[in-house]
Amino acid sequence: MKRWPILLLIALGGCNSEPEVVFADAEITLPVDPATLPPGPGMEAVLANCTGCHSPSTMLQQPRISREKWQSLIGKMIEVYKAPVDKQAIPEIVDYLVGVQTAQAGSSDGAGQDSGAGN
Amino acid sequence: MSGKPGAGGSGRVSDHRLTRRVVLAGAGTALAAPALAQKLIDLGLPGGPSERLLEPRFPGKGEMIVQRIRPPVLETPMAVFDQGTITPNDRFFVRWNWDFPTRINAAAHRVTLGGAVARPLSLPLDEIAGAGEHVEVVAINQCAGNGRGLSDPRVTGTQWGNGAMGNARWTGVRLRDVLEQAGVASDAARVRFSGLDVPMADGAPQFIKSIPIDIARRDDVLIAWAMNGEPLPVMHGYPLRIVVPGWFSTYWVKMLSAIEVLTGDDESYYVAKSYRIPADPVTPKDKDFATVPISAMPPRAFITSHADGDAIALGAPLTLRGIAMGGDAALSKVDLVGKGFEAPCTLGPDEGQYAFRRWSVTLPQVTSDLIAIGARAANVGGEVQPSSLAWNPSGYARNVIERITLRVL
Repeated sequence: MKRWPILLLIALGGCNSEPEVVFADAEITLPVDPATLPPGPGMEAVLANCTGCHSPSTMLQQPRISREKWQSLIGKMIEVYKAPVDKQAIPEIVDYLVGVQTAQAGSSDGAGQDSGAGN
Repeated sequence: MSGKPGAGGSGRVSDHRLTRRVVLAGAGTALAAPALAQKLIDLGLPGGPSERLLEPRFPGKGEMIVQRIRPPVLETPMAVFDQGTITPNDRFFVRWNWDFPTRINAAAHRVTLGGAVARPLSLPLDEIAGAGEHVEVVAINQCAGNGRGLSDPRVTGTQWGNGAMGNARWTGVRLRDVLEQAGVASDAARVRFSGLDVPMADGAPQFIKSIPIDIARRDDVLIAWAMNGEPLPVMHGYPLRIVVPGWFSTYWVKMLSAIEVLTGDDESYYVAKSYRIPADPVTPKDKDFATVPISAMPPRAFITSHADGDAIALGAPLTLRGIAMGGDAALSKVDLVGKGFEAPCTLGPDEGQYAFRRWSVTLPQVTSDLIAIGARAANVGGEVQPSSLAWNPSGYARNVIERITLRVL
């Protein structure tokens, strides 16, 4: 391994000349999510099945999407992210989300797509 | 205002009454909604919902656009980018895919090196910091989905304006110096990182990401512990995060705890299934097309001196300024473009090829409304911002020219 001597020199250089980095313990307190949702039929199902893992804004900020898209997003939560969603509650959850978006939409009728985005 | 809601929205802050957003606490905690004014910002997302709260405050953070409280997703208001090319830590965007520990015991923290290495290791923090020369790089960290909320047609996912980006001075050691301690196998193909953030449900994919070995060995790819001269804030990945200048932030794994050398493809979810873009251009109607992992960033530019709909003075000169980036290659030029005109902009100091760079331009006399004007960046690799959106179903890598309209008084 002819590269070794060079690497060792670099490593030693690092130890001798670089300033010491101090790593202290660190702690923060995150704000509590009040998990507020607009009232509507199915709200309890959403609180019971969705907002345990993520804030309601995850859903409430989405562009207006179809019932089928909501269904597929919930399916992705269950299949990919292993969300412990009560399957019996899915129709109620979908009804709620569609209802909220209809109320939210006002004059807009823009339709979005399921991006499959991780981010 | 007839201009398209480009440029990440107007970024206007306004006070609205709670009546706009009917609030009801869950689980029977009925709230007698107090008529408190809440500070909202409008991101100008086509079709909405477009307004976001600027609260609650998060530890170590100033005023941020709260996209999500848990796990935290915070966006930088566009006005911050007008203040300088370095984004202060307390205004830097935050994005976590999963919950993460809020307490770090530094003495107990280890980074393991495993996979295709000669000597698997478990290194404490001081050994990481002692692994090689300390290196500083000024680099933009930008979410792959930055600007997704401006997609037209819209797509689901985090509904960002254009503030899921920031530019900081990162300090750390070269990843390759740490890798050499473990001895990388000659057939190494990729290097994968994981952090302390973990999925909430058993069996869900951990947020782990990998980069090709040639990228991992680059001179400027770091394991960083400092951000703008301060220890990494917990929300930004204390004690260590990966820095890959020129690449989207999905690879800049936070709270680094494990490094794994792979000899083949990475089949893990967030590389093989998610954070992927079409291999070739697609339309919203296309299905089942080939995809590739998102990686290097394209050039982008933003007008920061004015917001969409701002008033300008007729007959007076007008100076516009903003920031621009070259992406994974140095910025070469910025032009102000509008209907029937192009004006070359003056570039500010060069703080490195991966950093934001100021631009400005002065129009000698305003003679009419300036409709759908935008700044257009180009990089030395020959990439130029397109005038129409390269739409993709995940809303990734947006770099269409961001346009605003300014009206004469």
